[in-house]
Amino acid sequence: MNHLATKYLRPSQIPTKACHGCGIGMIENWILQSIEELGLKREDVIFGTGIGCVGRQTFATWGGDNFGATHGRALAIATGLKLAQPDKKYLIVVGDGDAASIGTSHLIHAARRNLGVTVICEDNMGYESTGGQFSPTTPAGYVTNSSPYGMVEPSFDPCDVVKAAGATFVAETTATQWHQTVKIVKKALQNDGFSFVHVRFPCNENFGAYALGTRDTLKNLEWIYEHTQGRKADGSETDFTWETGIKHDASNSRPEFTRILRDMNARVREKLGGGPA
Amino acid sequence: MPLFKLEKKPPRGPAGKWDVVVGEQLCKACGFCLNVCPVDVFAYRKTTNKIGWFPMYTAHEENCIGCMLCYQICPDFCIDVRPKGEASAAGSTSAIQASTLP
Amino acid sequence: MSTVTTDTLVAPWAEWQERFTRGRRLLEAGTYALTEGAITAGCRLFAGYPITPATDIAEYMSKRLPQVGGYYMQCEDELAGMHACAGGSLGGLKAMTATSGPGFTLMHDAYGWAITNEIPVVVVDAMRVGPISGITGAPGQGEFYVARYASHGGNFETIVLSPSSVQESFWLTVDAFNLAERFRTPVTILTDQVISDMWEDLFVPEGDDLDFVVPRRHNLMMPFYPLASDALDVPPNIIGQGTGVCVSAYTHTEEGYDIEAMEAQWAQTYRLVNKIRHHRDQLTRYETVGVEDAEVIAVAYGAAARTVKTAVREARGRGVRAGFVRPITLWPFLDELYARDVPYLVCELNYDGQLVREVMRSAPDKTRVHFMGKSAELHTVAEVVTALEGVARQGRIPELPYIWTQVR
Repeated sequence: MNHLATKYLRPSQIPTKACHGCGIGMIENWILQSIEELGLKREDVIFGTGIGCVGRQTFATWGGDNFGATHGRALAIATGLKLAQPDKKYLIVVGDGDAASIGTSHLIHAARRNLGVTVICEDNMGYESTGGQFSPTTPAGYVTNSSPYGMVEPSFDPCDVVKAAGATFVAETTATQWHQTVKIVKKALQNDGFSFVHVRFPCNENFGAYALGTRDTLKNLEWIYEHTQGRKADGSETDFTWETGIKHDASNSRPEFTRILRDMNARVREKLGGGPA
Repeated sequence: MPLFKLEKKPPRGPAGKWDVVVGEQLCKACGFCLNVCPVDVFAYRKTTNKIGWFPMYTAHEENCIGCMLCYQICPDFCIDVRPKGEASAAGSTSAIQASTLP
Repeated sequence: MSTVTTDTLVAPWAEWQERFTRGRRLLEAGTYALTEGAITAGCRLFAGYPITPATDIAEYMSKRLPQVGGYYMQCEDELAGMHACAGGSLGGLKAMTATSGPGFTLMHDAYGWAITNEIPVVVVDAMRVGPISGITGAPGQGEFYVARYASHGGNFETIVLSPSSVQESFWLTVDAFNLAERFRTPVTILTDQVISDMWEDLFVPEGDDLDFVVPRRHNLMMPFYPLASDALDVPPNIIGQGTGVCVSAYTHTEEGYDIEAMEAQWAQTYRLVNKIRHHRDQLTRYETVGVEDAEVIAVAYGAAARTVKTAVREARGRGVRAGFVRPITLWPFLDELYARDVPYLVCELNYDGQLVREVMRSAPDKTRVHFMGKSAELHTVAEVVTALEGVARQGRIPELPYIWTQVR
């Protein structure tokens, strides 16, 4: 394993269950760099994951404390956990299904409350673990296992949703933007509030096979690259381009949720103590 | 600038000052490192590893210019690129390749 | 004919209320008693969603928890509430949630997560009449089986307790927290709209010497999940102390990460089922009246038990040797309470018949187990006396309006 994996990961879980060429491991490698550059130790960070490729491939790889939630509920569990353990850094690593579909309610409310966690929403634009059905982030018209005539439902960008709900740090990168992702995750971890980092990555086995027509790892990563640049290798335009970068940075401008409750408790107890006997 | 460079160029600038260590037992042969590398460092083994893939190995460490693209792009935590002589968990290429990594 | 009957209460608080007599005497509601019981037991997190008739618990908690340095969380829905309780308990806080049937159904995924990861949580389900949302504010007992099977997948046991008075709501809540800690499992308090909303005498003990509370301790070493072990009193795991524990919904190893192996499947199920089954003696709680010489025994729990118990005494006065069994522990089911070979009259607040099926299974002669189901209102004393007389004298319940006697 590389030196960061040796420092932070659980050796029994490496190699991971991920398919070859899957972007999940790349992103985790960059997250480890962010963690190390901030000088954090294993016991300072808690990983929370969900169900699906991102959830299952990430779960238990972290060598410190971590939990794998029921589908979509990592943030609900993190809300209770952060109340009990407010001083840790939380990395909630979930997929597009977990965050933007089944778990969107908890995503919105965690953002509204400004819960002090960093959500890394790793988006392969479909439900790939169950074979490749479409998700709320699948691009328009793409053929998947459950949209054989092309994706007709409108999709949305979870970044817009969390920004509207009150997130204090929102950013987007892709699986070909390693330096940006390391820097952005560092900034996200330094926000004592709700940070949302949305990373698009390739799936070769399912999205690649059915939507893009190939399982070739190089072609699928290049598809990500093209849609990050907005330009194909031959110079022509892509059908859409992802807007990457920091979309909203109001880090540390609003009180963090558990801090709000602790402050309220202090006020209540002071009033009780100072009141009539 | 293209992501993958299928044509390898000879190194421009300081080369051969880096230890490039591939955890061959963890490699799933995605091919990213070999194709993102601008110079000629990697090649595929001719025998499979414990998890059933023909893994990548460091064929020409002397060409490495330390750009770190392979380290960043590997999805399986396999690659370490450290300046030669620096004490690291990676160790030297020959020593690690001689052993069986986890 | 003997009208003197022996009352027996088998429960830990029978002894607690003898020993602890210093405190406050109040006239209060069942919801208040549940809240104070939780706070006394050390609860420092409530995460739930308002729903009749459990809303008052949320409101009391919102007031009381900040006073004791705890946290009240009003979640976006019940499933977030139960997950937040599990998360908070995993981080070291004793946690509780309170809901009714519609919310309890939403909690099943999270309840299962707490079961499989051995996380202590107390869940109050204040039942009301069904089907589904039924009549808001009318009592029911429709979640008897749901509380046992509070999650999917099988391969687990559950602990479910049911109080029948305001005072009992207080003590039983403390007991529920203790059992949750000792067994490392969620415990359900199955109460109902009547016991929640009624106002009665309440004694709340005070002092620094309340030794009946089992304190929270933490397990900091491997094995985090002692598989193939039925050991009791294993401290709960904790996230945040750098132990490296893994917590998830899957069949797992002793470290907690997922594994697909028959050995792990067997070992994990062995623990989850037998830690409860092999320690049933620690879970026995019930009340009986006059069963020694009974010719017919009435069975009821929760709110139904109030009028049924009165009816049993009335029936004695009219010459029927009636007895009464009130299970307080509903699950694991106390089969041994129905060993006598007499007719049973099972009075429940539902029409589909749930408790009666378990009594039929446990009793020596299921053809002599009679079902007296009623919905949306308590059984009246007169109705139950009539039924007891009917079962004792003619071997059947006479026809009564809105009383259901069919079980199949």
